[in-house]
Amino acid sequence: MVQANLDELSAALKTVQKELTSKFGKKLLETSTFRGELTLVVAPEDWIAVLTYCRDSETLGFDRLDCLFGNHYPERADQPFEVVANLTSIPNTTRVRIKTRLADGESLPTATGLWPSAGFDERETWEMFGVVFDGHPNLQRLLLISDFQGFPLRKDFPLEGLVGGRIRTDLKGKL
Amino acid sequence: MSAPSQDQAPPAATTLRPTLEELRERKARSRQPVHGDREVLTVSMGPHHPSMHGVFRAEVDFDGEVIVATRPEIGNLHRGVEKLAESLTYHQVIPLTDRLHYVASFAQNHGYCEAVEKLIGMEAPPRARFIRTMAHEMTRISNHLLWLGIHIMDFGAITFQQICFREREYMMDMFEMLCGARLTHSYCRIGGVAKDLPDGFAERMYGALDFLPTRISEYERLIDKNRIFLGRAKDVGIFTSEDCAAWRVTGPALRAAGVARDLRKDEPYAAYPEIDFESAVEYEADVYARYRVRMREMRESVKIIRQCLENMPEGPVLAKDAAHVIPEKKDVMRSSAAMIQDFMQVFQGPQVPAGEVYRAVETPHGELGFHVVSDGSPKPQRLHIATPCFFHCQATTPMWEGEMLADVVGIFGSVDVCLGSCDR
Repeated sequence: MVQANLDELSAALKTVQKELTSKFGKKLLETSTFRGELTLVVAPEDWIAVLTYCRDSETLGFDRLDCLFGNHYPERADQPFEVVANLTSIPNTTRVRIKTRLADGESLPTATGLWPSAGFDERETWEMFGVVFDGHPNLQRLLLISDFQGFPLRKDFPLEGLVGGRIRTDLKGKL
Repeated sequence: MSAPSQDQAPPAATTLRPTLEELRERKARSRQPVHGDREVLTVSMGPHHPSMHGVFRAEVDFDGEVIVATRPEIGNLHRGVEKLAESLTYHQVIPLTDRLHYVASFAQNHGYCEAVEKLIGMEAPPRARFIRTMAHEMTRISNHLLWLGIHIMDFGAITFQQICFREREYMMDMFEMLCGARLTHSYCRIGGVAKDLPDGFAERMYGALDFLPTRISEYERLIDKNRIFLGRAKDVGIFTSEDCAAWRVTGPALRAAGVARDLRKDEPYAAYPEIDFESAVEYEADVYARYRVRMREMRESVKIIRQCLENMPEGPVLAKDAAHVIPEKKDVMRSSAAMIQDFMQVFQGPQVPAGEVYRAVETPHGELGFHVVSDGSPKPQRLHIATPCFFHCQATTPMWEGEMLADVVGIFGSVDVCLGSCDR
């Protein structure tokens, strides 16, 4: 994994990193930097607490959730799923990335209470990866047909073939 | 009471700007009260409806003519771009990004290439950066012209669309001259652009830059004081800056709410740091303010293109980087080194370090972000595309609530949504 090199961060991001470290300490499981971007990994139970603090802290001021999405690492046996949130502060023009890792079947509390824009993002993450968001107001299929089978962005889902979709055998001979 | 004297100075612009509280109050006043006890009629709008700007469907609950609730439904154009990208090399993804937003396809190419270049840690040569900036602004003009024609058509003026398409056609011809394609350009490359400007391009472009400002003034004369347009656009669809942050509404709709957020200035890329321009900001947060922002942006784009042409440095249009860049076609036919490089890039793909980056650019319709995760192989491990239209479709729920049926089309048009970009 990419190591943290705090020197490559901008001055504004260094303050963000310091403040979050002093506030959450050991709860930040991993801090990494890459190309001047800061990534923090937290446990699923701290997910909402960290996001809430990022949004409500006066100095951080991450007032917008730019995107929230999932990722699948089948080679990690115990925690194959990852949920990533990219936060943006419009007044400070800073960005930070908060990540959490989930076991298969583990669920995550919803962030729709913090940013309503997470609604579509979480629906998409659920339908593509099967990550359940507890407390989401309307966790249904968003981009695919409603009775689609499987979670297509998982790595073990094939790219081609008659999978997932509905095969209408009941219409045979009627069309 | 005496009439105000003529020589009295008009109030300073700052006092005319509504504060957030005033906007909140205006928003509450402009929306109709919703009676919970009355019978609600549910109507399915779209997906095949001329006002829906693509295959967007919304289930709308009406109380009389007032909207109680909206449930947007998207996905009719889903092509699985993110899944497909995982099986293609970084170069092969570029044509897929064209098809995201086919009205502003260069902007999507550009955003993707900026993201991959950030991941690699390389920079395009100066001439390529100026060409990218110029092409991005050409896209902005042609996108806003299409938007303007359709938006005014939403309000019932059919002819206006033809007038806008006259100028848009000129911009598409310029793109055809630049890269051979009118709609899906695939002109950007990792490390530069596909080829240099053709002969005579600058002269034709200057011709367009000379007549565009007068044409924009012509549109403004037709629209700005039109009573029907003013009546249907002023104080309609107010969406304040805090709403924009909560629902991730970006681009002209955010700047129309008084937020000077423009990634071209806030997170500069391409040649924007070397160019003198203003980002258009309006303060009324309604449909009319969004229209004003786009009209001013078109004028700024004309200025930017002129500066790009005047200050364009000489030099290569692709970086000299054998590990990541597909060489120009004319070199492949003449030099053996370039041929080997072309072969390696096409068959093997670029040698990208492991890591992940998020890069957003200011496209004509909002902030488009690409999140690229790399495991060190020539294919992305995961490519997530945060398109502005995805969030704009979601934001129909708070935007339409309490508005009248007749205003729905105008409000939806004013945020500029493309369903290809929304569904990916």
